[in-house]
Amino acid sequence: MTVNGTERSIEVEPRRLLVHAIREDLDMTGTHIGCDTGNCGACTVLIDGEPIKSCLMFAAQADGSEVMTVEGMEELPESDGLHPLQEGFHEEHGLQCGYCTPGMLMSGKALLDENPDPSEEEIREAISGNLCRCTGYQNIVRSIEYAADKLAAQPAADGGTVAVDGDAGPAAAGSDADGPEPTGGDADAPEPFEGYEVDDDEFTCGAENCCGGPSTDAEHIGGDNV
Amino acid sequence: MKAAHFEHHEPTSVSKAVSLLESLDEPTILSGGQSLVPMLRFRLARPDTVVDINGIDELDYLHEEDGYLKIGALARHADIEDSAVINERYGSFADTAPLVADPQIRNRGTIVGSVAQADPKGDWGSVLIAHDGDVVATGPDGERTIPIDELFLLPYDTSLDEDELITEASVPVPTDREGSAYHKLKRKTGDYAMAGVAARLIFDADGRIEDAGLGMTAVDITNARASDAEDHLEGERPSPELFAEAGELAAEQSNPESDEHGDASYKERMVEVLAQRALGDAAERAGAIKRRNSP
Repeated sequence: MTVNGTERSIEVEPRRLLVHAIREDLDMTGTHIGCDTGNCGACTVLIDGEPIKSCLMFAAQADGSEVMTVEGMEELPESDGLHPLQEGFHEEHGLQCGYCTPGMLMSGKALLDENPDPSEEEIREAISGNLCRCTGYQNIVRSIEYAADKLAAQPAADGGTVAVDGDAGPAAAGSDADGPEPTGGDADAPEPFEGYEVDDDEFTCGAENCCGGPSTDAEHIGGDNV
Repeated sequence: MKAAHFEHHEPTSVSKAVSLLESLDEPTILSGGQSLVPMLRFRLARPDTVVDINGIDELDYLHEEDGYLKIGALARHADIEDSAVINERYGSFADTAPLVADPQIRNRGTIVGSVAQADPKGDWGSVLIAHDGDVVATGPDGERTIPIDELFLLPYDTSLDEDELITEASVPVPTDREGSAYHKLKRKTGDYAMAGVAARLIFDADGRIEDAGLGMTAVDITNARASDAEDHLEGERPSPELFAEAGELAAEQSNPESDEHGDASYKERMVEVLAQRALGDAAERAGAIKRRNSP
């Protein structure tokens, strides 16, 4: 597999988790193990550009993939020592104990690769699989916003260059920002037909203990899909 | 904890996978692995052999064909989220995908794997029930179609034979007068449903409900159909009263257990509420009703 742009070859037992292979066989301890149960996201790495939890995948399954860990960030073309995301976490106090930070950085990187100008809500959704026990989410969101601004301000020439240094340079693969932007899933019926008006005021969810009591608000019935 | 030792097989075609399933002793199939990997690690599952189907490219598809939406065994939750066809025409699928676990897990986990896992708290089983879906089981004798109502037997148990794997899930392409939705109650991102209801409504030219489908999550020993509510809806015009009655019937037919998230009577009440919300969305998406605060 390719790890942070470098071809790596290891022999592992089938039961070896990817996170253990990264930390123990490849000696890259930037990727953390938090919960051991797939909940916390501290072990998030990118496989072919997509964030996954490396404790929920066997190492053998990453055969032939491009893996990116936090150690690979400084070598990206947009980095100047630190990657803009790392700089953002530094500038905006995006970490306290730092345990969740590598996973947050990976989720943040995947988000900005696909959506260079995310809203706060999109940032929160992107890091919703990463837990911060210091509850520093506000600053983590700001850190990712900082990085988005910084990346947007970088001259285009930077983004256009291929990875530095000699090797094949696949490290740049993740920085393609041309992916299709997800469009809102507005589910209008294709062909409205003669239907029946319903008086919304009659629509109540009726649950006495739901959101504070019986409601006559139509929003209550179908408003939130979040 | 480490998983117990197992032999890892990576077939690259369905036929190779099937012959492995036939020749190996009680193998386990690994697809997205987002449930199975932790089960292996905690040794809740201790198979001698694992047949990893992630290398079978022919199973990686999500498209409409011959009047069906066909979901290959390697289509991930994230593929549903990103699909323009889904977002345009399949309200319940578009609702469900972003509610499954979290973004990282949605990049790996598969719809078919979730159905094959047969966890009563899984979301997709309810969606397939609402849409009268099928799964295709492939084994040594070829393919057979299993209607979703005949798939789930018990928690984590399906009517699949040991040498079969589910290669596809499918639902009929929606008509012009059809709408669907999924509503799920959970505490936070990453949680399984405390309760969930998928609804699908098809209207006739006269504005009456021609066909109704309602599937329920986490309120019985398997994903369950609210057939009494469906019967009550069919032939009627949509109205708040009708949907309230259907919600009550669904709640009556549900069979939840009390746990740390709430007691059984609370969950029944939630089924009632979620069913009404899902039916309201489904009817609106079909163009059969308009609601005041609609976008």
